[in-house]
Amino acid sequence: MTTVAAVRATGLVKRFETTVAVDGVDLVVEDGEVRGLLGPNGAGKTTLLRLLFGLVAPDEGNVELLGRPLGAADTVCLEGVAGFVEEPTFYPYLSGRVNLELFAELDGGAPAGRVDEVLDRVGLGGRGGDRVSGYSTGMRQRLGIAAALLRSPRLLLLDEPTSGLDPAGARDMGGLVRRLAADGTAVLLSSHLIGDLENVCDSFTVLRLGKVVWNGSAQQLRDQAPGSAYRLATSDDARALELAEQQPNVHVTRSPTGELRLAVHGRVDAYVLELGHAGVAVRRLELVVSPLESMFFALTSDVELDSAALTELAEAALAGT
Amino acid sequence: MSATGVLRPGEAIPGGRAARRSGGVWSVYRAERRKLSTQLATRLLAVISVLGPFAFAGVLKIQTGSPADTLFGVWVHSSGFALSLVVLAFCGAWGFPVLAGVLAGDIFASEDRYGTWKMVLTRSSTRRDLFAGKLLAAATFAVGLLVLLAISSLAAGLLLIGDGSLVDLSGRTLSAGHSLVLVVVAWLLNVPPMLAFTSLAVLFSVATRNGIVGVIGPALVDLVMQLLLLVGTGVWMHMLLAASAFQGWYPLFTAHPYYGPLVIACIVSVIWIVACLGTSWLMLRRRDFAGAPVARRAGWVMPVRVAVGAAAVIAFLAIAANWGPAGDTAAKLKASIQPTFNNLTLLQQRELGRTVAPGAKLNVLTNCSRRASTPTGPGDWICTLDVFIPQPGAEPFQSTPVSYDVSLQADGCYKATSPPSFVGQQTMKDGNGKQVVNPLFVIYGCFNPL
Repeated sequence: MTTVAAVRATGLVKRFETTVAVDGVDLVVEDGEVRGLLGPNGAGKTTLLRLLFGLVAPDEGNVELLGRPLGAADTVCLEGVAGFVEEPTFYPYLSGRVNLELFAELDGGAPAGRVDEVLDRVGLGGRGGDRVSGYSTGMRQRLGIAAALLRSPRLLLLDEPTSGLDPAGARDMGGLVRRLAADGTAVLLSSHLIGDLENVCDSFTVLRLGKVVWNGSAQQLRDQAPGSAYRLATSDDARALELAEQQPNVHVTRSPTGELRLAVHGRVDAYVLELGHAGVAVRRLELVVSPLESMFFALTSDVELDSAALTELAEAALAGT
Repeated sequence: MSATGVLRPGEAIPGGRAARRSGGVWSVYRAERRKLSTQLATRLLAVISVLGPFAFAGVLKIQTGSPADTLFGVWVHSSGFALSLVVLAFCGAWGFPVLAGVLAGDIFASEDRYGTWKMVLTRSSTRRDLFAGKLLAAATFAVGLLVLLAISSLAAGLLLIGDGSLVDLSGRTLSAGHSLVLVVVAWLLNVPPMLAFTSLAVLFSVATRNGIVGVIGPALVDLVMQLLLLVGTGVWMHMLLAASAFQGWYPLFTAHPYYGPLVIACIVSVIWIVACLGTSWLMLRRRDFAGAPVARRAGWVMPVRVAVGAAAVIAFLAIAANWGPAGDTAAKLKASIQPTFNNLTLLQQRELGRTVAPGAKLNVLTNCSRRASTPTGPGDWICTLDVFIPQPGAEPFQSTPVSYDVSLQADGCYKATSPPSFVGQQTMKDGNGKQVVNPLFVIYGCFNPL
């Protein structure tokens, strides 16, 4: 039996008038792998997913899904592939259940009870009979995932899957993706927020202006991260600031609100131990910018991520911008 | 691959692009059929198709007037078959294009409106499957509603009016069996133009991605075609209009049926179907589904361009309506109206209780002329029929002139009316004192314009 990658895209280029939305992208997703497709808005993530789904035709390059070349647009048939691009959409005048039954019909029909099974799986079991026009954004997102699960896919392509989901829903979604991957399903998730995918993905591909700027495992991304930033509260903030000056990889500043901000290049452990030895109690140490987030920021912006930039990033994260 | 057809991790889909797959045309067809059947408009059309003819027949039952302006309209009180043909003539002029628009005009555009293309195109069906499946579903419903109307109008006519003899377009009386066969064939001959308008609705739906244009478009095109059928003297352009194909069944109801226009109507319908569907498919197969377009403010440039373009096309077609030989000539009209008048006069005499010998013929001298500078073509004509009645005396014949105002169409069908002073009122008392239709009040007839 020949083993093939779930996704193998080579040299993909897509232009829209004068804009190059995807510029020479190579991408491989193996079976059982959960790969995050990261990039700021306009990086080309959605266009890349549209190319993989055959919704738009590439100007250059090739796509193979599950070992099968994606042909001309009119012959594209996504056997074994499921997912959605942007927000999932449905016929609003029909119920969630009927929508799923129609999609199942397009796949040649689903076994009895399959629709109810996937509705239950995404937490819509009690609302399946309601018209989709009455669904919230989060419910539509769940229904989109249910539509994807209907066909027991070998490859799942999801665009911003946690968009519109509450924290519990996002966590459930992450768990679901991990379970599917454990069964051998390859998953490609796109997001412009690395925090959404940080604990779900095995590997990442980072896009910027249509080009791949980084590709590798989650561990490699963490190892290469420029640093992280924390919100710090101690029993003696003045002493904590003094001690930070003795640590070459640590930079502590006081924010306009009076709280301490801690920017770390590498590990934070030594500084925390030092605080303990000095009799300064650590009352709060909250990760505000994770190593992956800092790496993502470094890869997708022109700013050099020094301690000041990390602290600024932490302020922005705390301000919710 | 496992025996159940489920791919194991790392296993390629066998057979490359030609692999067997679970979706397909019939999967799409079933899904679209279900969607259409859940829509209010479709259900409403089905109810109207079933109940409409019964309501029409019911109204006729309680009033004495008849839709004499419509082909076979004068006979709706005496023959249930005439009622079905009146319904067919009305549907052919207006009903079928509207029906086609409602059923097919939104079938592609609705995917744009709801943004569901990206969902349906990422299932196991190709664009080709989706196009063919949607088309089949629209065609099924269009033909289904036509059949429903045919059955319902026949049932309404036969149950509420009865199976009285149908008087054809040559003034002959047809038996119930003969009438039934002809009526059924007439309905079936409307299937090709119905599919042509369904294809036109699909084209509007795919090209404009706008459901409103898709629904209204076919009815507007039909209206323009109906107007174009009224202008010009040539036969070619008139026969190429899809709306004229709805009238292809008229020759079946003449004493000497002619099949040229009927065959041309079918060919024209096929040409429209191929042209509309071919263009629609080319648009759909090349389309990039790249998300919602950037919203632009509604401007006046595009509507003006479309209006100017449409006006130019209509003007060109109006001029082209004069191309080809003039099918409507005085000789053809005379050859048609004279025997029809003869048959209807004999029918009138029978109705009045007078004895008429089988095969009897009137001595009639007919003269027809067009009320315009050009002597040929559709429009207003006048026909004078001098009936010579034998009488004793020095003058062996008494000449009774009957003058008819004839409204002649490009397809060779006409309606002739005469003042009551010549032919009497619309109804008369038969030999039994019962009020019946006066056959000579309005004469409908057809001749071959080719």
